Amino acid sequence: MTAPRIELRHLTRRLPSGDRVLTILDGVDLAVAPGEFVAVLGPSGSGKSTLLALMAGLDRPTSGEVLIDGAPIQGLSEDRLALLRRHTIGFVFQSFQLLGNLTARENVLLPVELLGQPEPVRRADELLAAVGLADRGHHYPSQLSGGEQQRVALARAFAARPPILLADEPTGNLDGATGRRVLQILTDLRRQAGTTLVLVTHDPAVGALADRLIHLRDGRIEREEAPMRMASETALEIAAASPG
Amino acid sequence: MQPSFYFRALLRESRGSRGRFVFFVACLSVGVAAVVAVAGLSSSLDEGIHKEARQLLAADLAVDASRPLPPDLDLDKLGLAGVQRTEIRETVTVVAAPPAAATPDRPGASQLVELKVVKGEYPFYGELKLRPQRPLSELLRPDTAVVAAEMLTHLGLHIGDTLRIGGQPFRIAGEVLAEPDRVSVSMTLGPRVFLAAEGFDRTGLAARGSRIGYRTLIKLPAGLDPALERIQERLRSVLPETVYRVQSYREAQPSLRENLARVERFLGLVALLSLFVGGIGVAQSVRAWLAGRLDAIAILKCLGMRPREIFPLYLGQTALLGLAGSVVGIVAGAAVELLLPSLFPDLIPAELIRPWQPLALVRGLGLGVGVAVLFSLPPLSAVLRVPPARVLRREAEPLPIHRWTTALTVVALGLGVWIMASVQAHSWDLGARFTGGVALAAGLLAGAAALVSRWVRRLPREAVRSLSLRHGLSALARPGAAAMSAIVALGLGVLVVVAMSLVQQRLTAEISAEVPRDAPTAFLIDIQPAQWPGVEALLRQQGATNIESVPVVMARLAAIDGTSVEELARTWDENPGRGRPGERREGEHEGARGGQRRGRWALTREQRLTYLRELPKDNEIVAGKLWSDPRRAEVSVEQEYAENLGIHLGSTLRFDIQGVPVDLAVTSLRTVDWRTFGINFFLVVEPGVLDKAPQQRLAAIRLPRGSEQRVQDLLVASYPNVTVLRIREILEKIVKVLDRIGLGIRFLGGFTVLAGVAILAGAVSAGSARRGREVALLKTLGMTRRGVAAAFAVEYALIGLVAAAIGAGGGYLLAWGVITRGFEMRWQLQPWPFAAALLAGVVLTVLAGLAASLRALEMRPIEVLRTES
Repeated sequence: MTAPRIELRHLTRRLPSGDRVLTILDGVDLAVAPGEFVAVLGPSGSGKSTLLALMAGLDRPTSGEVLIDGAPIQGLSEDRLALLRRHTIGFVFQSFQLLGNLTARENVLLPVELLGQPEPVRRADELLAAVGLADRGHHYPSQLSGGEQQRVALARAFAARPPILLADEPTGNLDGATGRRVLQILTDLRRQAGTTLVLVTHDPAVGALADRLIHLRDGRIEREEAPMRMASETALEIAAASPG
Repeated sequence: MQPSFYFRALLRESRGSRGRFVFFVACLSVGVAAVVAVAGLSSSLDEGIHKEARQLLAADLAVDASRPLPPDLDLDKLGLAGVQRTEIRETVTVVAAPPAAATPDRPGASQLVELKVVKGEYPFYGELKLRPQRPLSELLRPDTAVVAAEMLTHLGLHIGDTLRIGGQPFRIAGEVLAEPDRVSVSMTLGPRVFLAAEGFDRTGLAARGSRIGYRTLIKLPAGLDPALERIQERLRSVLPETVYRVQSYREAQPSLRENLARVERFLGLVALLSLFVGGIGVAQSVRAWLAGRLDAIAILKCLGMRPREIFPLYLGQTALLGLAGSVVGIVAGAAVELLLPSLFPDLIPAELIRPWQPLALVRGLGLGVGVAVLFSLPPLSAVLRVPPARVLRREAEPLPIHRWTTALTVVALGLGVWIMASVQAHSWDLGARFTGGVALAAGLLAGAAALVSRWVRRLPREAVRSLSLRHGLSALARPGAAAMSAIVALGLGVLVVVAMSLVQQRLTAEISAEVPRDAPTAFLIDIQPAQWPGVEALLRQQGATNIESVPVVMARLAAIDGTSVEELARTWDENPGRGRPGERREGEHEGARGGQRRGRWALTREQRLTYLRELPKDNEIVAGKLWSDPRRAEVSVEQEYAENLGIHLGSTLRFDIQGVPVDLAVTSLRTVDWRTFGINFFLVVEPGVLDKAPQQRLAAIRLPRGSEQRVQDLLVASYPNVTVLRIREILEKIVKVLDRIGLGIRFLGGFTVLAGVAILAGAVSAGSARRGREVALLKTLGMTRRGVAAAFAVEYALIGLVAAAIGAGGGYLLAWGVITRGFEMRWQLQPWPFAAALLAGVVLTVLAGLAASLRALEMRPIEVLRTES
């Protein structure tokens, strides 16, 4: 068996809230293999987003370990964590998180430029074409619809060819049809690039696309399952039909 | 990261924020304008003096002394064949107009003048503007004079009238409109009168012991200019430097320029203060800007941009803005520089202004960008604290900041401020004092503002009837960082302006007030010993009281304890601090050079000696005993003077009294209370030693108010060689000079106030979103727009009131220190500046605050409440 791309060892995160201490994550153990698609399901407040934040070094655990490609990251400096994200991790967020003062193309360009890769503009245009926004590159985020913004965010997430993609409710702010379109693009791009994907959602239909489903409740892994192996097309149909 | 990417990122980051930076630019440009105006004016004057140096000297070389050039000095032998030479003598005397036709038995009006006697061509360079337009040598005959136009007006005379100088009649042959070597910024004792050499001989003033300054103007033949320094050196080698001062036009008026430089250092610091106050506004703008960029910063961090890459991105941003603000400031400063001479024609000689001063502009640019970068460091450290987890959770707590980062920021800010202050002050020491003083003042102001806020918080606000007032008080109780910096900034500005006005008012009041009851109101100089009984009788007859008179013997210090003064002067030049432990602290302010010049001057100048049996009552012996050694000729020396020259009890001073050497033993040191305006001397000699030496008498008298002019008229009619120096007139001239500098400081202090107002407007505008919601809410609750505006006005008025009160309080404190410690004068409470400061503070803040909240006031309730949901 190959070494896990992401490994969480007894990961705990507590937050002070007023004069109490909230336990957001409570001793989570999880390993994600290279190329695997893991969906994390759970009601709001179950610790899904915190789990993602800890995987990306955006937040620091109270105890436990996060290993990326076998190396622990919880002790790294902010600078080293930034470099790790730059080279290894792409993001997609529920609220898109595009930079409002940059055009769509510039948003996609940014990770490529940060890496100093050659021909960044070609790469950006390729990706914008792949998400179907070849002619919208010069628009600012405020001039794009929600679905278009999320497609730009997808292009940005894949731009630097990161081995890991972390997605936080990527369809949560979109209507059904738009959400399906975005999800389709996401899974297509992932398959082409062989990216490891951890996707957080509260929508079981979205989770059904994953190789593995993790159910989170009150900061603990409640259960783990392999969803029925279905053609992704069929799964998307179900996702579209389900409410919410 | 590649530099090109960095630069692209820098430009992209500035997008969409541009409109927000009006206040950043405004705050910064006000200070830069002040700095550029001061630096530009001063270097412009300096350049003007350099360019006009020949005209200002009216020659290539000038030799000054209190005696003529040695008669055996052969310029030809010094290789100076072919030079042109003009001898000039200058003295101060009182001239008299003929008796008025209506009162033929009363003497005519008299006036103190500066007499100038020219023998030879004058001027060699520059233009002497005369009316009628004829050469001076043609107008001047043995019986004619050419006088300043202002004097004709003052005495009611016209060209062709007669004037008595030294008792002799002179026909006025013309008037002087402008003199090349008389600079309008220097202080003079009276208007100019030109006489021919033969005419001056007729007055007999030289023979009767008037003090005369001798100046020889030298014009080199064409082609010898490159050899100017060599020729100057050669002259110096044959003329003893303790007696003769040889200056060339290339040195360009060193003492005038040194005075200007001193004024520039002072004004430069005041200007810098307004730049620092602007810096507070810059910090404020940056803080408000970053508050809106937190999400973007979190995204950048999330995408893998390191904090150490993001920080320079934003620092670069402020540097760019600083550049923009500085450019605006430079343009404004240059405009001020161009406008000033026409605004204050008395203050600045327009003829010397050269407005294009690249170095001043560079200084403005450097200081402007420096302040922008330095003052934005503390708020920019927020960039490091932005948690990347914010992309997932808005309320993610900020990252901890390293203690070193905070320390480094504080050190960089302090160091930077110190360096900038030192650049402006031309001295590390003065720069450090200034930095400390500003930090202290800002700290005190902030502390006072916090205290006021705490006190307001405790007020029972429910008891206040007026809704507007209650709203204002609650705003003051929770002022927020923005309002706090506005209070500190405005307060600093008010402090400078109030302190300066107070000091100036006090000085003016002190000088124009009745001098102490028994203090003299006039000094009479150049009285011949034989004339004294007659003069004294006349004075008593005219009601003069407190008449004091002493003999004066002019002498030159030749040696101290066997070391010649030339030798001492040399060691002084090489090692100014050596063996002078008690040197006046004042000298240290201006660096070693000022102290050195003062000490050297005391060493080589013409000394006035008197001889007395008993010391005046304002003298006090602090060491030794008066006239205690029967075997030696003794001298009593003023303590500070002795310390300056390294003279001790038991030292032997050798004086040269018009060619005769006299040795005197120092047997006592004493202090003098100079404030009594009595006749006092640094050097008092034992009676019997100098009785036969050539001498004159000096008298101090007290005249009934209003009789000074009449007594002067009478005196000059009978004793034309006696010169009356009216203390009040001289003091008034000093006040005028002080006034000019004070005007400059208040003008620049105004910039500081302006910067403070800009900060307040910026703070108000930055909070305009919150204000909009406030307005919407108040309107929803049924308040009219006028009512909301009134509530806001009260809030700003309270901020202005607190800032002005605290600043003015600080100004009173500073003025009290300067007046009682610096000038050793009595403190008198003047309430008006305080009231004026409060009024101005309130009016300015209300206007600026309302202007900045116009947009918020326009908000309709629905717009705001909709976006809120």
